[in-house]
Amino acid sequence: MNQNQTADLLKRSMPFQTVPGEMLEAIAKLARYESYARGDVIYHQGDFADDVFIVSSGAVQHTLGIGFQATHPEKIVRSGGVFGWAAVLDNQRTRMAKTVCMERTELIRINGEELINFFKATPETGDIVMSRFATMINKEYTMPEEVAGHVPHFTQVPVTVATGLSLTMFRLSQWLKSPKPYLMMTGFGILLATWYLAVEVWKLPRFADMPGLTTVMKEWFSKDPVYGLSIWTPEYYQHIWVSVRRILIAFFLATVLGVPLGLFLGWSKTFREYVFPVFETLRPIPILAWVPLAIIMFQGSETPVIFLTFLASFYATALNTMLGVETIDESYSRAAACLGASKWQVFREVIVPGAMPFMFTGLQISIGVAWFSLVAGEMVAGEYGLGYVINTSYTMVRYPTIVIGMITLGIVGYVSSALVRMAGDYMMQWRVRELALGGR
Amino acid sequence: MISKRLTKSLFSRSNLRAVIAIFVFLVLWEVGSRSKDWFGFPMPWVGHVPPPTAVLVAWYGLLGDPGYWQSWYMSTLRVLAGFLAAMVIGIPLGLFMAVNKTFHGIVFPSFEVLRPIPPLAWVPASIIFWPTQELSIAFVTFLGAFFTIVINVLGGAKSIDPRFFQSAQSMGSSQWDVFRRVVLPATLPSIVVGSAVGMGITWEVVVAAEMISGGGGTTGSGGGLGFFIWNSYVGGSYEQIVVGMISIGIAGFVCSELLRKLGGYLTPWLRKR
Amino acid sequence: MSAVMQDLKVPPQAGKAGGALKGAIRIEDVVKIYDPEGAAVMAVDHCSLDIPAGEICMIVGPSGCGKTTLLNAIAGFHSITSGKIYLDNELLCGPPEKPMAQPGADRIVVFQNGALFPWKSNIDNVAFGPMMQGKLSKKEIYEKARSIMADAGLSGTEHNFPGEVSSGLRRRVEIVRALMNEPKVLLFDEPYRALDSLTKSVMHEALLEIYYKNKVTIFFITHDLEEAIFLGHRLVIMTSRPCKPKKIIDVDIPHPRDYSVLTSTRYRQLMDETVELVHEEAKKAFSAGEKEG
Repeated sequence: MNQNQTADLLKRSMPFQTVPGEMLEAIAKLARYESYARGDVIYHQGDFADDVFIVSSGAVQHTLGIGFQATHPEKIVRSGGVFGWAAVLDNQRTRMAKTVCMERTELIRINGEELINFFKATPETGDIVMSRFATMINKEYTMPEEVAGHVPHFTQVPVTVATGLSLTMFRLSQWLKSPKPYLMMTGFGILLATWYLAVEVWKLPRFADMPGLTTVMKEWFSKDPVYGLSIWTPEYYQHIWVSVRRILIAFFLATVLGVPLGLFLGWSKTFREYVFPVFETLRPIPILAWVPLAIIMFQGSETPVIFLTFLASFYATALNTMLGVETIDESYSRAAACLGASKWQVFREVIVPGAMPFMFTGLQISIGVAWFSLVAGEMVAGEYGLGYVINTSYTMVRYPTIVIGMITLGIVGYVSSALVRMAGDYMMQWRVRELALGGR
Repeated sequence: MISKRLTKSLFSRSNLRAVIAIFVFLVLWEVGSRSKDWFGFPMPWVGHVPPPTAVLVAWYGLLGDPGYWQSWYMSTLRVLAGFLAAMVIGIPLGLFMAVNKTFHGIVFPSFEVLRPIPPLAWVPASIIFWPTQELSIAFVTFLGAFFTIVINVLGGAKSIDPRFFQSAQSMGSSQWDVFRRVVLPATLPSIVVGSAVGMGITWEVVVAAEMISGGGGTTGSGGGLGFFIWNSYVGGSYEQIVVGMISIGIAGFVCSELLRKLGGYLTPWLRKR
Repeated sequence: MSAVMQDLKVPPQAGKAGGALKGAIRIEDVVKIYDPEGAAVMAVDHCSLDIPAGEICMIVGPSGCGKTTLLNAIAGFHSITSGKIYLDNELLCGPPEKPMAQPGADRIVVFQNGALFPWKSNIDNVAFGPMMQGKLSKKEIYEKARSIMADAGLSGTEHNFPGEVSSGLRRRVEIVRALMNEPKVLLFDEPYRALDSLTKSVMHEALLEIYYKNKVTIFFITHDLEEAIFLGHRLVIMTSRPCKPKKIIDVDIPHPRDYSVLTSTRYRQLMDETVELVHEEAKKAFSAGEKEG
């Protein structure tokens, strides 16, 4: 591994991320390259902490000893990861963890003493690096802030653990360095270019009738749209609002009725045996086959559309909630009973939160099928609304407006399911945090 | 012996309850529908629905009608066409996205952007694009199943335990072997689930597409159960609407069950549990 | 064989020898017959056992032998077919009048895979029992929870969710959650089964430490002989299904113990005495299991 590669590796690691290039090269000169076989122990807990390690390739299992109050003592360190940070702490020169290579591992090691001496010459950079060390020790190794606070500081200002913002910025910069955003742009580019070229430049057969990319965009953003609908016309927002309002009513009703029904279906066997068969008999009938019957049952044009949307959401919510209750491990209810909870308390404290993950999966599906049925309902029976826009634009030969309607539907639909997901994450912090740790 | 009787009664109890529940449901429906004749005022909502007995009579009358069976045939054909196309294109696409990171990076974001657009919103665009009505209905049906199948295949292939790959490689498998003997079978359960869900959506979409395109007034469409329902509505024979709904329910149910059976046959290692 | 039978005749103890100690369990001739799909399966076969208050009683037997059925009967999760179970001379269950015990905070189970509620923070889990019983104010409960967690070395993890801490820590929180209710008996259902042996050894010492402070009766199910000898006052070795005591062995290694016990000669002797018995039952269970499967 040459100097440049070492500098590149340092640049990828969290503590050295912000260090300027020429200084990285100077630090790279301190580094030594080493490679280990699978199963090799790099150091044991209690060893003298001399060097800091940065993984180039492979994987290292890092197990913190008991008594250091790490909430999650186990961690796998992979390429770009830094361990052995005890070597830079000012009160701690013994290893706090045991590290074992899980596969063939290449890494570089830098003497902690030499690193600290190096930073004494450039205290400002040193403080930034050390505060990033502190954040890493606290956030990634789940060590208490007191331990992380023991990194040395070179200027007069004491070092503090970085807040959420700098961590987010770090993740953002990592993302921008990965190929993902560029591939994504390539994908969008190909999609839009195909549309543009096929319709407007090459005028391929069949495609020539379709509204082209520029036509649609011009229409969508025009202050004086040819076919009467653009982001500057109030009707556009009126249609969106009508659709959103229907979704809101239907989704609200479906949740308010479907969640309790699902909870009781899962909780009480007797209730399920009586109610579920009827439910199962009606379920195979596609929601959209209800359209004419809905029109007959609920006169007018507004209620049938809302009913259809509601019905689709309701099935998804109730079924998934029921499934959620069924998957709760019995030992949770038993543990609660042991601890003196009454039947009702078990329901409130165990069944409801335990079914929550599935319930929110259900709500995610529910909002999706709600849009699905709403569009169908509006196309067949509605007045106003995005589905109606698409259908009338077809019959009145306003082709670009069809595409505007479709894009708008996509956006509004996406935003609504993102909102449901956010609500779920907000209500299930325990799960978010669990998954975040599991994902490492 | 006592125990045997006990389990027997336990089993029949849940079945008995199911029968009671459905019977009560039908009676309530009948009473609700006939409320106008019997009590002098129609019950809200149910009062406008034809009663189950009338539906049965209408259904009996339709059993000898070749037009009714033609509708079954047309809808099934469209569902199969759209569904098979979705499988043929969706499964390789999902697998390829799971295997190749670059391809995933390029295609997946665009895929996610198109996915929230409900399939039925494509109906008009599809009619404009495809030369025949038949093809446009099949295309929308295809879209309905396509997204679900791809997402399921992708999710299934991505969640394969990496130890499977390692153990296959340690036993000397080539890349192609790993794909054929590890990735494919490990993804099969997700393919089955995705297809079953996709099949359900396909029936949803086909009904609506038939209603919108066929029922929208254009003549010469090929019929189908959705069209049958819409036609019954326009013609005012409300009993036939319910017959149509039940028929689609049965058709969809049978298709999904067949798929599940086939899936169970293809994934024998999941059977025991 | 007759020598083994001799061992079973445990003299009926009052269970009140220590006076202040509570939590003596008496199991009298308990039978449990399961009935899946009409085929009766005997899980527990005329089992009698006396556990004096404050004892650590280790129930050792092959997996799936019916030990858990016995535990579930004491905890009140399952009914028994015949026999009686007493806690401090009070009838817990005894058909026909009372086939099933009422679950209660005097007998708390620590489950095999852990049953800390993942949706509650550690301290909310610890406070759960008293909160449900509603005897103390919320403030008092949380003060007590904080101090009892600090005693067990769990400071700093109060506001983490169980999913965020290591599995060893989770088990400790679960035991603390049980102790919060001042139970008479702790029922352990192979709680350390999923842990690696290093973590396990730490957990064993921690458990003994907690026991020396609290002196509750411990009914501990395991299939790990090493664990059983290290922790227990007595080992009850169970036969494979249907389960009943095969031999009861006093572990005459004085408490308090630490891990140096593992290298002592007495420990080796006990290990030698018991390993054959356990292995025999494990083999029976294995061949029976193969026939079933």
